[in-house]
Amino acid sequence: MKTLFSTRLSRHLRNMVKYLRLVFNDFFIFALMFLIGGLGYGYSIELQRLHANSWWAPLIVIVVAMISVQIGRLATLIESADSVFLLPREHDMHAYLVAGRRYSLWLAMVTQGLVWFVLLPFIRVTLTTNWMNIVGLLIIMVSQKDLILRRALANCYRYETPLIKRGWMIDWGWSLILFATAAYGGWVIAAGLAIAADLVFAVQTATTWAKHPIDWRAEIVREDSRMLSIYRFFNLFTDVPMLRGTIHRRSYLDGLFRRIPANQANTFRYLYARGLVRGTEFSGLIIRLTLIGLVILYFVRGLWLPVIFSALFVYLLGFQLLPYFSQFDDNVFTHIYPVANTEKLKNFQQVMRTILIVTGVLFVVMACIANLNWETPVVLTLVLGVEIWVMVQFYAPRRLARQKN
Amino acid sequence: MTLEVSHVVGGYSQIPVLKDISFDVKDGELVGLIGLNGAGKSTTINHIIGLLTPFSGTISINGITIAENDQLYKQQIAYIPETPVLYPELTLREHIELTIMAYRLNQEEAWQKANELLKTFRLDNKLDWFPSNFSKGMRQKVMIVCAFITNANLFIIDEPFMGLDPLAKSDLLAEMDKKKRAGASILMTTHVLETAQQYCDRFVLLHDGQVRVEGTLKELHEAFPDSGESLNDIYLSLTKKAGQTE
Repeated sequence: MKTLFSTRLSRHLRNMVKYLRLVFNDFFIFALMFLIGGLGYGYSIELQRLHANSWWAPLIVIVVAMISVQIGRLATLIESADSVFLLPREHDMHAYLVAGRRYSLWLAMVTQGLVWFVLLPFIRVTLTTNWMNIVGLLIIMVSQKDLILRRALANCYRYETPLIKRGWMIDWGWSLILFATAAYGGWVIAAGLAIAADLVFAVQTATTWAKHPIDWRAEIVREDSRMLSIYRFFNLFTDVPMLRGTIHRRSYLDGLFRRIPANQANTFRYLYARGLVRGTEFSGLIIRLTLIGLVILYFVRGLWLPVIFSALFVYLLGFQLLPYFSQFDDNVFTHIYPVANTEKLKNFQQVMRTILIVTGVLFVVMACIANLNWETPVVLTLVLGVEIWVMVQFYAPRRLARQKN
Repeated sequence: MTLEVSHVVGGYSQIPVLKDISFDVKDGELVGLIGLNGAGKSTTINHIIGLLTPFSGTISINGITIAENDQLYKQQIAYIPETPVLYPELTLREHIELTIMAYRLNQEEAWQKANELLKTFRLDNKLDWFPSNFSKGMRQKVMIVCAFITNANLFIIDEPFMGLDPLAKSDLLAEMDKKKRAGASILMTTHVLETAQQYCDRFVLLHDGQVRVEGTLKELHEAFPDSGESLNDIYLSLTKKAGQTE
């Protein structure tokens, strides 16, 4: 069982490396260096403005530490077929899960170390404390993470104990107690508490797991959602074929479709609009790009910079939407409907136009807020209007026709 | 003559799966397309519904081929695939609406038919659910409802009885009978030979990409007098014979 985990882990890591190589391309590393440099510089400037013994400084440390121990979920690498194929060896699965927890703990320890390292200067500046306390904080963070992962492992089994089933008690509640104790009561007590709780939990579950069946279904769902969030991150930079997204009913948005007439000419518009609103894949993309664009526009002032950024984001959005044209192609009915292909393209253009216009309007509104003049919004409206018209009317059909051949 | 398949050679890539097949389905007729796995049934269907283009030969529905007028050709077909194909993003109500839109059906008439069918197949309280989460049999019923609200001349039904409960099976047969009486033609593939023997007017026995024999049960008996009584017997002996001669 341990070998099963290590084979899966090496396959998983190979897969991750493949994507990481795509993510950390030259351009991105360049941007990242600037980002880290800039953030580090900003941090150091901010630190100079702070002085020791602010009442809020320990609160910040508590919050940051609490959030950091939540980072890194239990990686089990369980697949949906396992509930059928590994079911006969359910008892041996413990070794597998323990191996998974060990791997997750290593990953989490790296994260804890990094967060702790970033916190160091802040603690040194704002709190009168000695090195022992700071090392103590790291000990608490790591042993609390150990406990959190222990609970996650126990949660793979069908325990009915609320402490195990409801994550917030240990993950957030106990973390709060620990870090608050460390900040106000002394780190020795807090570290002692953290290690003791971890040990008690370990001893408690060391034998009891055998009496509980594995909660296959819940664990498969959890692992799937964990992988999905990893892939979603990669998907920001490159195409991830495994990413299928999920469907939500979102009935509160049904009103949006009322404008689409129920006739044959709008068959695909009906389909495209609903798919877009209810699927997470493309709606997530649109929302992400629009939000990032809005944030950037808030900080970018002047006339041409906002125009260039908005035009770029609208282009990116339109470009990323193009694959949605063939979203339903693997459904045989889209081929056998007596609807002409030209109608399909026209419907796609209508949907694309609506989305780009909504985003464009939001960009113009944000430009108004950020600049408080009439020049930027007017120029922006003109530029975006032309851009959207060209993209929808000329660029999209050509690009889609080329893809087909 | 509703469907006419004549001298079709076709397949997915360069290698032909169908080797010069010809048969027809007349108005108001239920024809069973019978064959082993891999005999070419699905390939034949994919050619008829227009997913594949034949290398040679023609397929016409009421005299129209897909090359002449693809919208008019497609308008005449209703298709029920072997595995239910649904839009994960659409509710059951929206599947029906989309079908109404795509086939330019009269809203009121179509919904009236839909409501009757939904009631028959006990789906009438699930209109606002996502059918892609239904069980296999229930998804199959959604496909049946969407196909039977159309005014198609030709129904192509691939393995209709798989996963259906006995009640739904008999309801489906009743619906097929209704459509037949109204003059529509039905081409159905199936492995359930007893049912096929009972309900089909004619049979097309496909083996290894060729039409082995075509006709009514009586005609099959006459063609192969020593093969046995039931469709099952005739079919088994034919496929065995074919295996020996190869």
